[in-house]
Amino acid sequence: MAQPGVNTAGSGGLLRKNKVQKRIFIFFAIGPSFLGYLLFTLYPNILSVYYSLLEWNGISASKFIGLDNYIYMFKDNFVWTSLYHNLILMITVPILTIYISVFLAYLLNNKGYLESAFYKVLFFLPNVLAIVVVALLWRFIYDGEYGMLNAFLKLFGIETNNFYWLGDTRTALWAILPVSIWSGVGLYIIIFMNAMKGIPASLYESAILDGATHMQRLFKITMPLINPVIRVSALFLVLGAFKGFELILIMTNGGPSGSTEVIGSYMFNMAFGKNSHNYGYASAIGMFLFIIMVVAKMIIDKFSKRDEIEF
Amino acid sequence: MENNKRTWVDLVWRILLFIWALSILVPLLWIILESLKTNKEFFANVWALPDKLMWVNYKTAWKSYNLGPTALNTLYFVGVSLLLGTFLTTLNAYALTRLQWRGRTLIWSTIMISLFLPGINALVPQYVLMRDLHLTNSLTGLIILDSLGESVFFLMLLGGFMQSLPKELEESAYMDGASLMQVFLRIIVPLSTPGIVTVAIFKFLGLYNAFLGPFIYLGDQAKYTIGVAMYNANQLMQYKADWVTLFAGVTIAMLPTIVLYIIFQRQISEGATLGGVKG
Repeated sequence: MAQPGVNTAGSGGLLRKNKVQKRIFIFFAIGPSFLGYLLFTLYPNILSVYYSLLEWNGISASKFIGLDNYIYMFKDNFVWTSLYHNLILMITVPILTIYISVFLAYLLNNKGYLESAFYKVLFFLPNVLAIVVVALLWRFIYDGEYGMLNAFLKLFGIETNNFYWLGDTRTALWAILPVSIWSGVGLYIIIFMNAMKGIPASLYESAILDGATHMQRLFKITMPLINPVIRVSALFLVLGAFKGFELILIMTNGGPSGSTEVIGSYMFNMAFGKNSHNYGYASAIGMFLFIIMVVAKMIIDKFSKRDEIEF
Repeated sequence: MENNKRTWVDLVWRILLFIWALSILVPLLWIILESLKTNKEFFANVWALPDKLMWVNYKTAWKSYNLGPTALNTLYFVGVSLLLGTFLTTLNAYALTRLQWRGRTLIWSTIMISLFLPGINALVPQYVLMRDLHLTNSLTGLIILDSLGESVFFLMLLGGFMQSLPKELEESAYMDGASLMQVFLRIIVPLSTPGIVTVAIFKFLGLYNAFLGPFIYLGDQAKYTIGVAMYNANQLMQYKADWVTLFAGVTIAMLPTIVLYIIFQRQISEGATLGGVKG
């Protein structure tokens, strides 16, 4: 067993030889990951500042053009339309996801229905599916001729005349919404259920004595008490809706005629798309995103320190 | 709080829960059902049951989408990245959370910067870098990109786990003359196994479900992983209306993660909670 005076800070009492050995160990333990992080993550992020000042298609010689990309960007209508689509998703997806998951989590947590145990497993299932699987699955659902949605509506006598949900500029963006929610809710149900387990039962008991209904308990007790968790979740969902674009890339690739284009997919297609290899401009859009996110984060941090609840 | 009396409102709640359950089950079962029909049956009526279960669709999908080579590519990419990445993350978490050394705070705060990076603006420079290193269009290149790096989420998950182990364990081993590597491999790794398993499961899900990386970096169809292969198969669907085969292919693609989820359901739920609170 450890002697007095030996067990300080884990490494105390080691001989000089062991100190050298420790340095070597740390070098090899941290080295590969950390150098990889510097090279593949930090360095490209810093480099993107420089790239945004170039006119470059990735192959021929690049040309330094100063802030021209940024000036062009502010005049580019596609950028603003895309950001508008992001804004719609940033408002709708987090609100709906959070309300649905808080509600379902509350039912699963506070109501001991026989089937709840099965639902707890089932509801997370969409979260483990690959984004390609989710996107293709919903493409099939939304298909005009053979899609499940139109076939389902037909069962209720609603004739859609083979309406292509993802092929119409009026519905395409709104058709993305349920997919985002469907594939995201499971995670938040688990998170909220876990947060709700931390609420002392005594709080509910006194409310029950006062005759509070389940809805009152949910809105007056549960939601305020798990508010910090809800807020963090909302932040993640908003950020996700801002920078996420894989689902859209696979489902619609921004179409039809740009009606589902978000800033991420616009930038992606600018850099890696079939018709365009405009690395400089794509980097400028990326930088713009970066700035928006940092500013948003600062604003959120400033306002989110208030009304923490202890219990 | 299960001492509540059941009322008619409960019926409404149960129906709502049931509807959400259906919204998950029906699409998944629907696609499996359609994958067992003929195209003719599918075109005729999307609800009808097939006359005969067409398991041959799976064989066709396997062949026409090159799923044999694709499965090997996926296995290579996911397998090596998983082993290498998990090993490195474990070493990292140990050195960063349980050892005291100069520069540790600096390294840790440098890693924390990654939380502020949206990632999306680095896509282009990262691609150019990979191209200059001749790592594009290569599964090995993707493995390097995905295994060498830092993830705050995994470091916190595993580091938190390791910090809960008592210090005396290592100290008595040092007294017996064990080296750091021996302590790491014989004491820390075995005791952290539950945490390492959770990290490995999440890495597996992330790697198997990865789309953007393979989509950007793998140009050659012979190198496709399963996600890109299915994306490509769907793109080609515009030219041939072979739906049932595509359904079979998508079903194949989703099976591994569903099976994994059923096996490791508890670890995944627990890990997801951690990720949500700290990530």
